[in-house]
Amino acid sequence: METIMNYLDNMFSRLPNTKEMQGIKQEMLANMEDKYHELIEAGKSEHEAIGIVISEFGNIDELIEVLGVVPESNQEPVPTLTTTEINDYLETNKKSGILVGVGVGLIILGAALLILITQLMEDGYIQVFEGRMVDVIGLIPLFLFVTIAVGMFIIADSMMKKFSFTQSDFHIQLHEKERLEQENQQFQQTHVRTTITGVALCILAPMILIISSVFHDNASVYGVVLLLLMVTIAVFLFIYYGRIKEGYNTLLHLEEHAIPKKVQKKEDKVIGAVASIIWPLAVIVFLISGLVYHQWHINWIVFPITGLLFAMFSGAYSIWKREG
Amino acid sequence: MISSDVIRGYNDTIILYLLIETPSYGYEISKKIKQLSNDRYVIKETTLYSAFSRLEKKGYVESFYQDKSHGKRRTYYRITEAGLAYYQEKCQEWEITKNVVNQFIKGVDEEWKQL
Repeated sequence: METIMNYLDNMFSRLPNTKEMQGIKQEMLANMEDKYHELIEAGKSEHEAIGIVISEFGNIDELIEVLGVVPESNQEPVPTLTTTEINDYLETNKKSGILVGVGVGLIILGAALLILITQLMEDGYIQVFEGRMVDVIGLIPLFLFVTIAVGMFIIADSMMKKFSFTQSDFHIQLHEKERLEQENQQFQQTHVRTTITGVALCILAPMILIISSVFHDNASVYGVVLLLLMVTIAVFLFIYYGRIKEGYNTLLHLEEHAIPKKVQKKEDKVIGAVASIIWPLAVIVFLISGLVYHQWHINWIVFPITGLLFAMFSGAYSIWKREG
Repeated sequence: MISSDVIRGYNDTIILYLLIETPSYGYEISKKIKQLSNDRYVIKETTLYSAFSRLEKKGYVESFYQDKSHGKRRTYYRITEAGLAYYQEKCQEWEITKNVVNQFIKGVDEEWKQL
């Protein structure tokens, strides 16, 4: 079977890597596999069967003519990924997923700690500082965590730098593709399970807040801390498992990778630019409303609202850009 | 074994004929061609798929995905109204072609020996 896959890979290596081409290649492989197995069943030797299957393949120029495609021989050759490169990519992608997931988790945790410490001091459980220091002390873990998180983002980003091939076109050998498709299918179940867990956490979290506010006014502040802890776990699940899924999508050319790279890059840039303005702005609003107006009990809502608005913007922008 | 050059103009007709009965996918069609021709014509993979893609572009067949009874998802093809009309046209064309070519065909056994 390996021989047949290699033969097909070679035959198609000159052709552009379009969806249509991949579909035809996949169908041909399935036909050739069927034919091969039937020949083996009919008592042919492996060599004979492969010989017959390959002799009945035909001439690839016939396809080129009908599909009106230009062979890529005079253009830049499209690289074929090796097994090591593929595994390295998946592994590194996973690791960077942990870094980003934990990083985002740390930022939310920092905010939770800020609220917790401030409330503990207000309730008189911690009595060390006086006056304005009360507001500042909670900010120390927040800034610390944010610093660590930013470091983790930078490391995660630089880890993925060497996989620049994902930004342009590449080939994957058929037997690798088959393996990845199987892995992806198995992972699908894990992904669904973790997504459900994450969504359940996000739904349960506000309920805890509501329940805690029934008991005591101040209890609701601790409820917020608990809420943020649950959101932290959910966010980690979304980011980490989402990242793994994205890795398979990239390698298998699924979903957004069907969209021309240029459109996508432009989108990423604009969305990235907006993100770099809107999120620091949210942090500033959060800090001012807390430090100046002492609204720590409610101002955390800035983050989910910003998140929602940002998601709406990037979604709408993508659709608008693609239609245009 | 028939050479693919000779039969080239009628690959599309052969495929359409097989699709009239029931929608089908690549390998099944190539197997039927082999059977019905008593092993004298084996269609090549590339010939088959260039025919599919030509027929689909002209709107003579439609493709859809379906799972085979055991195993993989395959691309199936079904014939359209336009495809059926085209098939009938090709049948008439073949009748004429056959008659014309026959005018130039000698009975191999008797007349050939006289030359």
